[in-house]
Amino acid sequence: MIWHIVTRELFDHLTSLRFALTTLILVALMVTNAIVHLQTHPERVRKYSEKVNASQIELKSRTQLYALLQKGPGKLYKRPSPLTFIADGGDALLPDESVGGGFWRLYGLTYIWSMGVPRLNIGAISHLRPTATAIDWVFIITYLLSFIPLLFTFDALSGERERGTLRLCLANSISRSVLLVGKFLGSLITVLIAFYFAVLFNLTIISADSSTQLSGADWGRMGFIVLIASCYAGIFIAVGLIISAVTRESRLSLVVLLLIWVTVVVFMPSTLGTLSTKWMPPVQTHHQFQETTAAATDQIHSNFLNKRQALIERRQSAETLQEEAAKIDTSELEIQQELVSKDMEIRERLSRQYLAAQSAQVLRARQITRCSPAAMVQYALESMAGTGFNRHLQFLEHCHLHIRQFRDFIVEMDRADPESLHFIGISKGMSKKPVSPEAIPVFEDQLTFQDTLNPALVDMLLLILLLGVSLSGAFLVFLRSEI
Amino acid sequence: MMFLTLIRQELLIHLMSARFFAAVIITLLLVVANTFVLIGAHEERLADYSQRDAVNQEGIATTPTYSVLKLKVQRPPNPLSLFSAGLETRFGNDINIAFDSVPALSNPIVDVRAAEEQWAFGSVPSLSSPGAPLGLNNLYLHLFSQIDLVFIFQVVLSLLSLLFAYDAIAGDWETGTLRLVLSHPVGRGKVLLAKYLAAMVCLLLPVLMSLLFALIQCSFARSLQFGTDDFLRIGGIVLTTIVYLSVFYLIGLLISTTTRRAATSLMLCMFVYVVLVLVYPNWSRFALNPVGDMRGEKRSADQQITQIREAADRERDRFLARSPLKGDPPVFRETEGISNLFSGAGYFLLGDFPRVNLELKNAVDPLAIHFRRYYAFAAPLQIQNAEKVGFVGQQLVEQTSVRQARWDERLMKLSPASLYTFATAAWAGTDLDGMTDYIQTAQAYRRTLINTFHDRDAFASLQWFAPNQQSPIDWSILPSFRFERADVGINAQRALPAVLLLLGTNLVLFMATFLIFMKIEV
Repeated sequence: MIWHIVTRELFDHLTSLRFALTTLILVALMVTNAIVHLQTHPERVRKYSEKVNASQIELKSRTQLYALLQKGPGKLYKRPSPLTFIADGGDALLPDESVGGGFWRLYGLTYIWSMGVPRLNIGAISHLRPTATAIDWVFIITYLLSFIPLLFTFDALSGERERGTLRLCLANSISRSVLLVGKFLGSLITVLIAFYFAVLFNLTIISADSSTQLSGADWGRMGFIVLIASCYAGIFIAVGLIISAVTRESRLSLVVLLLIWVTVVVFMPSTLGTLSTKWMPPVQTHHQFQETTAAATDQIHSNFLNKRQALIERRQSAETLQEEAAKIDTSELEIQQELVSKDMEIRERLSRQYLAAQSAQVLRARQITRCSPAAMVQYALESMAGTGFNRHLQFLEHCHLHIRQFRDFIVEMDRADPESLHFIGISKGMSKKPVSPEAIPVFEDQLTFQDTLNPALVDMLLLILLLGVSLSGAFLVFLRSEI
Repeated sequence: MMFLTLIRQELLIHLMSARFFAAVIITLLLVVANTFVLIGAHEERLADYSQRDAVNQEGIATTPTYSVLKLKVQRPPNPLSLFSAGLETRFGNDINIAFDSVPALSNPIVDVRAAEEQWAFGSVPSLSSPGAPLGLNNLYLHLFSQIDLVFIFQVVLSLLSLLFAYDAIAGDWETGTLRLVLSHPVGRGKVLLAKYLAAMVCLLLPVLMSLLFALIQCSFARSLQFGTDDFLRIGGIVLTTIVYLSVFYLIGLLISTTTRRAATSLMLCMFVYVVLVLVYPNWSRFALNPVGDMRGEKRSADQQITQIREAADRERDRFLARSPLKGDPPVFRETEGISNLFSGAGYFLLGDFPRVNLELKNAVDPLAIHFRRYYAFAAPLQIQNAEKVGFVGQQLVEQTSVRQARWDERLMKLSPASLYTFATAAWAGTDLDGMTDYIQTAQAYRRTLINTFHDRDAFASLQWFAPNQQSPIDWSILPSFRFERADVGINAQRALPAVLLLLGTNLVLFMATFLIFMKIEV
């Protein structure tokens, strides 16, 4: 019986004007998305590999251990995701390279490279062109796969009630829940047919191009993304059924639904995001951060100068003794090493703290915007596609891991050399043996399937939960409503 | 008489309907919530503004010589960005004013020389473009888009106008009331007009109510003060809103007269809404890049700038040949008395060599007179150079960024929703023209600054490059910077084309609806 209802609903929908318009608009947007991706993505990949190569060549040209440590691992770049067309994620604004910090010279000593605060590409927002949202899958799904389900369901129950067909239908031996499930599936399948059709168009165009190579994992990710989208459409169909069951008129039902849609999909993700930061503890301004760093490093530097002064005095008083002089030389190297390494550590620690405070704010704001299913879909899709804020944090984490590995490598190479004095960070105190370029660790910014799936899981579970809640809501409301 | 009855009846139908009530409530809720957020953001920007101002003032007060003066001017936050944010909240705010760089909207010049010849002649004359936008200490929060009040009207009320219109004719036709109405001695035109007027009055209500709420909220926040001119601008925004909503009502009416069933009309209206308000403005900016490749222009500008710099270098070399300061600038290092530069006592700016502070032992140091002669010659040359580079650079900005932005605007304006956005931004002074005004004010300020330097004969003075501990420079001579937004009249002029286009669309739509309505069978 249920399939009878589903097929009837399907037939009704598929031959309707709204289905034709839906398909048209979805296909048009998906095709645009694919074409623009094909135009812009190869350039992005080319730039990335050029930059990576340049940085690698520069790195390999350094053969001295000290030079390697002092100049650092070179610039580390974020690998562009092949799935950018799915979620843009504000990647233009987010930093895509690591930044070094430091820059000082003191009595022949110099800083060693430390990872600084990556710079946001502020040009991505402060340009003269009018703002617009990228037409990625996130846009298409969050806006259209919520709007279209409402158009298919606003009169599903209220319209039939107005015409009296609902009463007729229920006069047969059909339970209300069966009717509801039939309506739900009928609308969902219709919307998804249009959506899958558009997705097929999109993927055909994208995979027909030779420059984008999608791996097996990418297709797996895409499978999850399509599932998320279907779940999202299901939520709005259930909401449409709820409102349609409670209202007498289908006109009123439509207005209520559209207003819910505007609030939840258009306004909530941005308004709540900015609103929530009002009650958060403020983060340091960049200026304040620079001042704290400067104060901390100045402290270290003045400590060093004091110690150095003391050493000079010791040397002057004990100029004649050979043994004493050698001891003083060692302790000079010691205080030099202390200066350089402490300076590097404090810089890195403060930058990490600053970044952590900033990210905590963003993450909390995202937590609050999760009131809107549109935001959930956005975050889930960004994580799956390997773009957006989560990806940014992962990239920074990869950078940190690599830097640790890089420094360990240097310490080990230095330890292997018996001639070295083992004062890491001081030119005189380190091994002079040339390093073979092949041995230098290479930065790998690879995302595994788990890396993308794990952050998305919360949002996916939330979406499924929401679908369950709204569906059972629809049942409750429909079972209790008068026909 | 009949006409008034019709209007009254239509008004009552709309005002008593649940959809009107629901829409008004939602609009008001959204307006109140967003005004709250927007006032908060404005206050943050004001706080940032005064903080940056304090930092700048402090920096000026401790500047030891004229040449290293790092002057920054700022645009005060525009309170009307509450209504239409435009470029105001994301375009950079403070801009460097220096004798050797010219303010410009953006800086498309890639400085090839800066990296290669860091020791070359002076600081490289260039453009200075606005830095970071005000507010938001945490730049990552730009990931959440900002919403202004105009956006709420644009999205919610246009939806409401379509919902008023979709069954105006088609619904009456289905229920048969249209036939009844037209059986009275009343022209079809009047029926149409009555429907239109009644709906517009109903749409005006939520606009005025939300405006009232927003203004009440603003009056509680002491940071927001609107002048008389601002109220005129707000009036302009309200007028534009009415014209915009009328476009959507007429679109709905046109669809309603051409279709026989309210359901069909509704679907068409909804898709037209999605396309015009949501999809097209984003789509056109995303998919179309009408200006295309701009590398050619950049390259030719780079060449011109290189030529300007080379010419300046030659002139400087000629001067240096006659001076005891030796040849190429790097040789300055060997000049006696310069070595203490590197002891960390003075300023040391990479690529900024001639601006370096010298710790002169006394004013009668034998080198001092030569340095003074050198700078008396070099600084005006640098100014002249900067102006030449600035001219080329500004042309390049015109040809690239500005041209691209204008084209984006033009294409987006095919949708009435974008027409509305740009018109209101013009009223609020947050559009591209408003930013250009700011840059022009900054350029004028730079010229006043240079004139002040000339008046004090700063370039030839010792304090141009060497600090004098006994009598530090009196920086109160600096002219103060004030950016006044354009006049209401100018705002109106800038908004006029878009408003006229909206009006024209109205007229065409009304005529079309009228003609079709005259012909349909009832």
